[in-house]
Amino acid sequence: MLIQILNGIVYGGLLYLLAVGLVLIFGLREVVNFAHGALFMVGAYLGFSIAAMGYWWGGLLVSVVAMAIVGCLLDAMVFSTLRKQDHIVTVLVTFGILLILETVVTKVWGKAYLTYPVPPLLAGTINIGGSPFPVYRLFVIAVSVAVAVSLSVWLRYTRTGLYIRAASTDARVTSMQGINVDRLSLIVVGLGTALAGLSGVVAGPLLSLSPTMGNYILIDSFIVVVIGGLGSFAGAFVAALLIGQIHNFGAVYLPWAATVLPFMLMVGILIWRPTGFAGSRT
Amino acid sequence: MTDNVIEGIKLSRRYGGFAALDNVDIAVKQGEIRGLIGPNGAGKSTLIDVLSGRAVTRGGKVLLKGDDISALTPQERRRRGMARSFQRTNIFPDLTVEQQLRVASWAVPGADIAEVMDELRLTEMADVPAAEISYGDQRRLDLALALVGRPTVLLLDEPAAGLTMEESLALARILRDLANRWKVTVLLVEHDMQVVFSICDRITVLHLGRTLSEGTCAEIRVDPTVIAAYLGTEA
Amino acid sequence: MTSLTASGLPASRRKPAGYAALIAVAVLALAVGAALPWLVPTKIAMSLLAQAMFDALLATSVGFLILQNGRTSFGQAAFFGLGGYAMGVLIARQWVAPEAAVLIALILPTAVAFLLGLVISRITGVAHAMLTLAVGQAFYEVVFRWRELAKGDDGMSFDLPAQMFGFSARKLQDPAVMLVLAWTVLVLVLLGLALFARSRIGQVAAAIRDNEERARFLGYSTVMPRALVYAIAAFIAAIAGILQASYNGYIAPQMFHWSTSGFALIMAIIGGAKFIIGPAIGAVVLFYIKDYAGQFAEYWPAIVGVILVIVTLTMPRGVVGLALMLWRRGTRR
Repeated sequence: MLIQILNGIVYGGLLYLLAVGLVLIFGLREVVNFAHGALFMVGAYLGFSIAAMGYWWGGLLVSVVAMAIVGCLLDAMVFSTLRKQDHIVTVLVTFGILLILETVVTKVWGKAYLTYPVPPLLAGTINIGGSPFPVYRLFVIAVSVAVAVSLSVWLRYTRTGLYIRAASTDARVTSMQGINVDRLSLIVVGLGTALAGLSGVVAGPLLSLSPTMGNYILIDSFIVVVIGGLGSFAGAFVAALLIGQIHNFGAVYLPWAATVLPFMLMVGILIWRPTGFAGSRT
Repeated sequence: MTDNVIEGIKLSRRYGGFAALDNVDIAVKQGEIRGLIGPNGAGKSTLIDVLSGRAVTRGGKVLLKGDDISALTPQERRRRGMARSFQRTNIFPDLTVEQQLRVASWAVPGADIAEVMDELRLTEMADVPAAEISYGDQRRLDLALALVGRPTVLLLDEPAAGLTMEESLALARILRDLANRWKVTVLLVEHDMQVVFSICDRITVLHLGRTLSEGTCAEIRVDPTVIAAYLGTEA
Repeated sequence: MTSLTASGLPASRRKPAGYAALIAVAVLALAVGAALPWLVPTKIAMSLLAQAMFDALLATSVGFLILQNGRTSFGQAAFFGLGGYAMGVLIARQWVAPEAAVLIALILPTAVAFLLGLVISRITGVAHAMLTLAVGQAFYEVVFRWRELAKGDDGMSFDLPAQMFGFSARKLQDPAVMLVLAWTVLVLVLLGLALFARSRIGQVAAAIRDNEERARFLGYSTVMPRALVYAIAAFIAAIAGILQASYNGYIAPQMFHWSTSGFALIMAIIGGAKFIIGPAIGAVVLFYIKDYAGQFAEYWPAIVGVILVIVTLTMPRGVVGLALMLWRRGTRR
């Protein structure tokens, strides 16, 4: 039972890492990055290649930095350029980018499933409540918690964080008050995609690597973002943990319905509250 | 039985901790043009919203020709003869002028769009998408949408906002004229005092969500509390 | 926020074409359709074109939702798949007469879309895109895992019955027959949508798309017309699914996959969702680019991605919008 809950938290943590990136970007740009899952996937492959050379932690670092750079490029070349257009246009472009990235990765690494190694430092299991539990999974939980804590501290106590929260509430007013939304967005989008890279690497040893590995988790994180209320950090956190638990308990106790439960929860919540449980913005 | 066409009794509305509307009573008689004035934040738009069904009153009720319509949706209120316009131009940008007036007319049995287009001088731009006509024309279109089918009650939220002085007064003349001929009762929120004093029969002054005063134009002009709260600062 | 259907270009000031012109064009298109088996050189070309017609129907469904509801769906494949699966499963199991199977395959997706539309139509813009994607994918997950239904991810072959509506149903798998049928259906669907757009309910739906709040204050309930548009769009997607399933004699979860939805949306955008015929044109254009790019098939998604990015950035009204603009520029001189 305890193990089940922990497994749910592991998946919820991964979802949170992805969903919070989506929320960050949505807050400033009011667009949803459909390529987010593809960046997660590219991050995982990059990390994998370097880990295969024996530098697991190097892979993590390179992947995060590379995805941050990609995010800055994405913001400067796509989000910033298209900010005056209908947001759906930007979404379509990110969808195009997703198709391109999947094809490139298929070309470079092939379609076959690859196995991402666990770093030697985190190999093995420990005993939790009488059952063995992989140390690596605890590491995943630790990473998600660390990101959640540092993100909320950063948003709450720093000047940049204050600006981001202000801009997420109303980007137009904020830009009128002399805050450079474009520069802020560069940071935010870069951070969001860096988190996608981070979660890609961290998820690597748990999932098998494939060019479409980002799609399934992207849709789950969409559900998290919608349920949590678009643009809400706290909502995303709660919803990620909730979906993580549902995902896991469903898989064990209701296997025939497991994959559909999150969708049903989402539709149910939307009937009850069209803006999700923490949100008012659409 | 009352001869009040539209009546609000003890209307209240809060936004967060702010009382936008606090126990306001209002009653407008058949054929009257009632001006609704007050400083920003007085509750004028909120009152229009509550009467038209865009916002819900907390306690209190709205009567249309004596019937309690508090629980009705905006579309039901429109079908009973209540129409409204909006502070910000609120039209259908991709539809042509005639198209959207025709859509408006279908909701009201027997409505005639030719008379509205004619009176509001929209006929010559009938086939132009609304997004492409001038701002002044858009404001008249906005009013025309509300006037289709000769509503019993017309709630207007700053129909002249953003217009020049001449345009505002011209619009006011059209409004006065149509209200008389079509027997439309009007509740008019307007910042431009010249417009208000030129066409309104009576005026209600709101201040901080409450009724400050009510009377004829002459009475309001000299009402000391009104002057102190409002007119003194602007007029 | 403007909808996709709004554009920077001045819209046409001409009145829409009259009914007579519309019918005349449709009749002409039907005549061309009847002659297609003699115009298209080979069976392979006919087969390709028939499949392009399925794509065109699905893209038309997505485009219609944008045009009439202002909503961008990333999950329209759900109704395409539902139509195909209802058809395939009912015919394979022989639970009902083949004619009834077709009817159920049309009605089920339409009804589901109507009910979903009542809920989903309240969600706008980007959230709507995410939501439809997730809903579509939920259907995919179900048929993918539910092996008893139609063999899960392997997909399921089925044989068409000998007779359907008094015709020899097996003929549906003849490229020439299917091409003429699919073309005819597409023309009738486009004609139907053009008539819908001119009808009362169509214009009310357009008004609701343009400005939902004002439509309410003009006396319209806005939920029903929106749900109706969802239902019509799903009906068209279901037709596409039924035709494709019949032609291939095969159904697979890919029919529901988000990439199917996504490609249909891309076709609609490339063709021009502002026009009723745009999505269908986009589907055919993309289909022929794909055929031409055959040797680069493995790069196909990337090619589509690049085309999509270029089209969204440079011609917001799609191929049809561009053609119309060039034509007007040409005739003005």
